[in-house]
Amino acid sequence: MNGPMPLRAYLLLLALATIVPVVAFGAVVGYFLIQEQRETFRRGAEERTLAVLTAIDNELAGSVSTLEALATLPSLDDGNLAAFRSRARRVLAVQPDWHNINLALPDGQQVMNLQVPAGKPLPNIGRLDGSFGQIRETGQPVVSDLAVGPVLKRWSFAVRVPVFREGSVRYVLSAGVRAESISRVVLAQGLPPDWVGVVVDRNGRIVARSYKSEETVGQLASTSLRGALEHSRSGWFAGATIEGAAVYTPFRRSDRSDWTFAMGIPAAAVDGAARRAAGLLAIGLLGALLLALVLAHVVGRRISAPISALASAAAAIGRGERVEVPATARIDEIRRLAGSLRESLEMLQLADRQKDEFLAMLSHELRNPLAAISTSTYLLEVAEPGSSDASEARAIIDRQTRHMARLVGDLLDINRINLGKLPLQRTRFDLAAAVSDVVRGWRQSERLEERDLSLTVEPCRLQGDRARIEQIIDNLIDNAIKFTSARGRIALSVSREAGTAVVRVTDNGIGLTREECDRVFELFAQGERTQGGLGLGLALVKRLAELHGGNVSVFSDGPGRGATIELRLPLDNELDQPAANSAGVVMGIG
Amino acid sequence: MIVLVEDQPDQRQALKMALQMEGYAVRVARNGQEALMLMAERPSRVVITDIFMPDMDGLELIAQIREQFPETKIISVSGGARHSQVDYLESSRLLGVHAALQKPFEVKDLLALVRQLIGRP
Repeated sequence: MNGPMPLRAYLLLLALATIVPVVAFGAVVGYFLIQEQRETFRRGAEERTLAVLTAIDNELAGSVSTLEALATLPSLDDGNLAAFRSRARRVLAVQPDWHNINLALPDGQQVMNLQVPAGKPLPNIGRLDGSFGQIRETGQPVVSDLAVGPVLKRWSFAVRVPVFREGSVRYVLSAGVRAESISRVVLAQGLPPDWVGVVVDRNGRIVARSYKSEETVGQLASTSLRGALEHSRSGWFAGATIEGAAVYTPFRRSDRSDWTFAMGIPAAAVDGAARRAAGLLAIGLLGALLLALVLAHVVGRRISAPISALASAAAAIGRGERVEVPATARIDEIRRLAGSLRESLEMLQLADRQKDEFLAMLSHELRNPLAAISTSTYLLEVAEPGSSDASEARAIIDRQTRHMARLVGDLLDINRINLGKLPLQRTRFDLAAAVSDVVRGWRQSERLEERDLSLTVEPCRLQGDRARIEQIIDNLIDNAIKFTSARGRIALSVSREAGTAVVRVTDNGIGLTREECDRVFELFAQGERTQGGLGLGLALVKRLAELHGGNVSVFSDGPGRGATIELRLPLDNELDQPAANSAGVVMGIG
Repeated sequence: MIVLVEDQPDQRQALKMALQMEGYAVRVARNGQEALMLMAERPSRVVITDIFMPDMDGLELIAQIREQFPETKIISVSGGARHSQVDYLESSRLLGVHAALQKPFEVKDLLALVRQLIGRP
């Protein structure tokens, strides 16, 4: 993204950056959980399949046991079929699922059939299915495939057991069993109502089914089941019922009967959990996204509204309009921003006021000397040339012109320093000598009136612009004169203290309040009790001192108790300072 | 008889000389306090006063003279507003001065005003 985005977009991104990995992780975990759940389900279903199959095997085993017991009857030892027939009839009477018992030779030729009166000719049933061959081969009981009985014309199957006499199979004893018996076993398993349990014989024909049993017994099982049975004896596949419903099917073929039990479990029952989990995940994701959107919007608004308010306030300040900086913000940082903006506004307003006052002062301060000059020019016009009036007028013009020049010069200097364009003509010189020169100049000046200007010096080598240092001293004295009475005292001292040259200008003038002390070096700032002037002098002093790597500070015991201004300048390190024996020289005048 | 109130020595001196050359008797004061003392000694017919001075503001002096010496004519002179928001010349007019001059003014104008107020000396 190239352009700046709104805060809301960033918040939304932030929310997405948090949500997306969680969702991805959730999806992976969900996938594994679902797989696990499916596996568990599948194992459960397969176990259930085995249980049902075992129940069917048991049912068949019951028939086998009964037949085997019948096969041991001694009447078969000597072929007394009449006696056997009567015993068999009694057994058939107590087996509700059996519809017939017959006895055949190993090749399938029947010798007794309870459904056919004794003495009537009986057909050979050896070719009905492979069961006779199997018995001859294995000597083990066999369950036949499903067939429509030649007598009953109903779907049934036969359980056949070999009858051994003298070490070989003499007969095959069979019971015709109704397919319903197996259906009952399947129904008794209590499968869930939407599950379909089905028992299939070797031919893939349905022996029993828990759903629509009547219509489906004898039909071929679904193609998917028959296909699966071609490949293995047990397993799990996704297929369809004969009605076409999508199902998962666990199946297992019995080793004893060679029949298969399979279940059709609706795909929805298996996949439902997965679908529900996926659905929940999707809903959760959607909800989280929606929440993120709403929160991003709300929080973004809560953050950006006060910022926008501050921005328009700042813009209004920029246009110079009067504004209130909004104060209500619930976010600490923004509250601080508002505080800073409010402070800047106050400072801006203060600076603006000071500038206005400065301009008013400047106009006043320039008009005063102009008035004196203009009046003196008039005097020169009217006074007799060469008279004392004329020369006094000239002196006034001279002084006031110089005063104005100095004022304008200070202004220019301040401006140059502010712009960083005041070059220093650095030389090495003695500060004491420079201060003495300035003091000498002032002592010749009438402005000192009756003030006592004293000076104490110690030699101090400096490196700097001597003219500028003299300007500093000149301004300090000028300042002291402004704030002392005509008979006041002004004391200057120059000394070395811990590698620094210190100039102190102490007066016994009107003094300063603590607040004035703090502001006295600010440009345009002036004490309320000053007697005019622009307040440029001390501001210039401070800037010039700083240009020389020094500083200036003011001390006062309060209004009416005088003040001391202390100027500190770094000594010139490269030259050895004169020995400390040069004691201070007092050059005061009374 | 004129009392001239001005804190700036050169301007005070120059105006005093200009008025004296015209023949007026001039007494000078450096601030409002001194001016009131001079007036108390001997009231004068005209007071010319700067507005911004130490000790007593010119406006205060004007008010005092208006009260104590209602006969005295006042001319106020100002170098402009000390504080930007207020036009002090306007204020002095409201206080009842007879004329207000903005520095730098033509001395001839001031002399004409004085003549107008109290005639030739």
